Amino acid sequence: MKFNRRSLNAGLAASLAAPMISRAARASDTLKIGMVLPVTGPAAAVGGYALAGAKIALDRVNKSGGVLGKQLELLTEDDQTTNPGAVLAFSKLAAQPDIVAFLGPVRSTQNHAIANDILKTAKPFCFGGTDPALTRIGNPWMIRFRPNDSYSGRVIASYGVETLGKKNWALVHSTDAFGTSGNKLLAGALDKLGAKVATDQGYPNQSQDFTPVVLAIKSSGADIIGSYFTYENDQAIFARQAKQLGLTIPWIGSASTVAAAALKLAGPALWGTYAVTDFAADSSREAKEFAKLYAAVSSAPPDLQSAWPYDAIGGLAVGINKAGSTDPGKIRDAILSIKGYKGAEGEYNFDQFGDGLHGYNIVRNEKGTIVFDKHIEFTD
Amino acid sequence: MDFFLQLLFTGVGIGAVYALVALGFVLIFRATSVVNFAQGEFSMVAAYLMVVFAVDLGWPYWLSFLIAMAAMAVLGAVFNLTVYYPLRHRTFLPVLISTIGASIFLSNSVLALYGPQPQVLPGWLDTPGFQVGPVYLDSQYLIIIGVTLALVAFQYWLFERTLIGKKLQATSQDKEMATLLGIPVAGMIMITFVYSAVLGGIAGILVAPVLFVSIQMGSTIALKAFAATIIGGFGDVAGAILGGFAIGIIETFGAAYISVPFKDAFAFLVVILFLIVRPQGIFGERVAEKA
Repeated sequence: MKFNRRSLNAGLAASLAAPMISRAARASDTLKIGMVLPVTGPAAAVGGYALAGAKIALDRVNKSGGVLGKQLELLTEDDQTTNPGAVLAFSKLAAQPDIVAFLGPVRSTQNHAIANDILKTAKPFCFGGTDPALTRIGNPWMIRFRPNDSYSGRVIASYGVETLGKKNWALVHSTDAFGTSGNKLLAGALDKLGAKVATDQGYPNQSQDFTPVVLAIKSSGADIIGSYFTYENDQAIFARQAKQLGLTIPWIGSASTVAAAALKLAGPALWGTYAVTDFAADSSREAKEFAKLYAAVSSAPPDLQSAWPYDAIGGLAVGINKAGSTDPGKIRDAILSIKGYKGAEGEYNFDQFGDGLHGYNIVRNEKGTIVFDKHIEFTD
Repeated sequence: MDFFLQLLFTGVGIGAVYALVALGFVLIFRATSVVNFAQGEFSMVAAYLMVVFAVDLGWPYWLSFLIAMAAMAVLGAVFNLTVYYPLRHRTFLPVLISTIGASIFLSNSVLALYGPQPQVLPGWLDTPGFQVGPVYLDSQYLIIIGVTLALVAFQYWLFERTLIGKKLQATSQDKEMATLLGIPVAGMIMITFVYSAVLGGIAGILVAPVLFVSIQMGSTIALKAFAATIIGGFGDVAGAILGGFAIGIIETFGAAYISVPFKDAFAFLVVILFLIVRPQGIFGERVAEKA
């Protein structure tokens, strides 16, 4: 065989093009889902749980034949647990035209930060932030796979006032979007039930000390605490200092009170507390099944952080199959028409705003074991 | 009064942590005229080392502490050789950027090696605390305050009563003159970095049982410690200690009596006031260009 410049050029061109052709061929075999999650920053641990949950669902969907005859592929970007990081991560994913839908952060403040870019991208965006406003800001692409805080506030208030009989409340909350909106809704729900707010204590995230908050609650005469903590380490520091300083009144917290990281950090300081949470392992057959699958891949206990991405991937698969195409509008309409889809977090019945879940579980921390009490569902 | 005393104890305890880290800032600044923005990461690395040795491997606490301190000394030396020494003849800005880069490198290295999950490091004592009258004394805060005071005393002895301390002081005051007097300046700077890394490590290990061990723990503490050094006077050891305690007490009382959400703002408000009214800090001397 004779080599000349032309054959050499042709060979080089072929060898350069081969990987691209092979990549293109492989790309057409998969449907890509983009996922924005914290890999670095204060919520990096949570990002690990979320990725594990998403991968379990991905594996499950792919083993059962995939979506529209293709395998699902997950592409991830680090939001660095910051709003600018979330914007950057989403823009990197949004720049890839073959991504058909996205999974977003669990923190409301980051979802608010990228809401405009989601609107411009015009593709389904499944997220976990619980600020009710996120599905009411006129962005049709935002689809929530968790119950929002209008429900959590009502469940906390209802359980504390009607079941535990407590009417003098101390509210503790982060001053970010999640904590502020959750606290406002809880205060509103308490007002409707005729309960009184003895003290309202907001705190900045990543606080190193909660002594002033604990002492203010003690001196307020409150007989119960309702809380919205964003970060698990804040939750754990507060829990430990409350115990040390003799604050022993009942405590009903938002879902972070039973998050895996909070349970690990706080240990016995959280024993005896109540929480409203979307995921409770004993709440349904599907939740038990997810807990079993999760235990096979992680030493951490399953919690909402891993359960909602699991449900989101499952819901997306159902939606895309139902739509019969990857047209963003058709996928969105198909997801919003889902009724009675049983996920790990509960039964999904999407409303016109994009909210899939409409209730919360109440659980109690019995010496480190999370015991399911009851599920409260709302129809309004 | 009970309320006041409880807040005072907590403020002093937190302030002691800031003071320890601020001490590391000051020592390096005195020796090199550069702010080491990786000082907080020294604390984080040491805390993770303790988790590995004392929790994961189950070694005795005292042995884990000694090995962690030895590792921090090595880290301080490597830091000097790789981050400061190659840029020692440049202006302060490249060195400062180099320390910021090192800070990011250390954080991401620990993240890659150990993972993102925050960890629990048990306290030095089995008893979590003591009730003395109306005030609860957290045992870990008691240790932090005690160790900080002991290190201040040690530092005073080292700098004022030993030959090596005098050499370190001479190096920090005038490197050229120190060289002319036969003092090995490079060696003195190396000792300063090693000592600062160990100090940062001690702070991290002490505070870990209170704040937990996480990748961000260093930067959270370092920011306040940096504020403490500005209040105390950059380059002044006594100022760093006083500044640390001042920040701890101001933010605790500010949160209790004015507003919890603005807790962090109080500390930095005081810093801004100092920068306007007394930019040289409490103990700093006014520096003027000679005509």
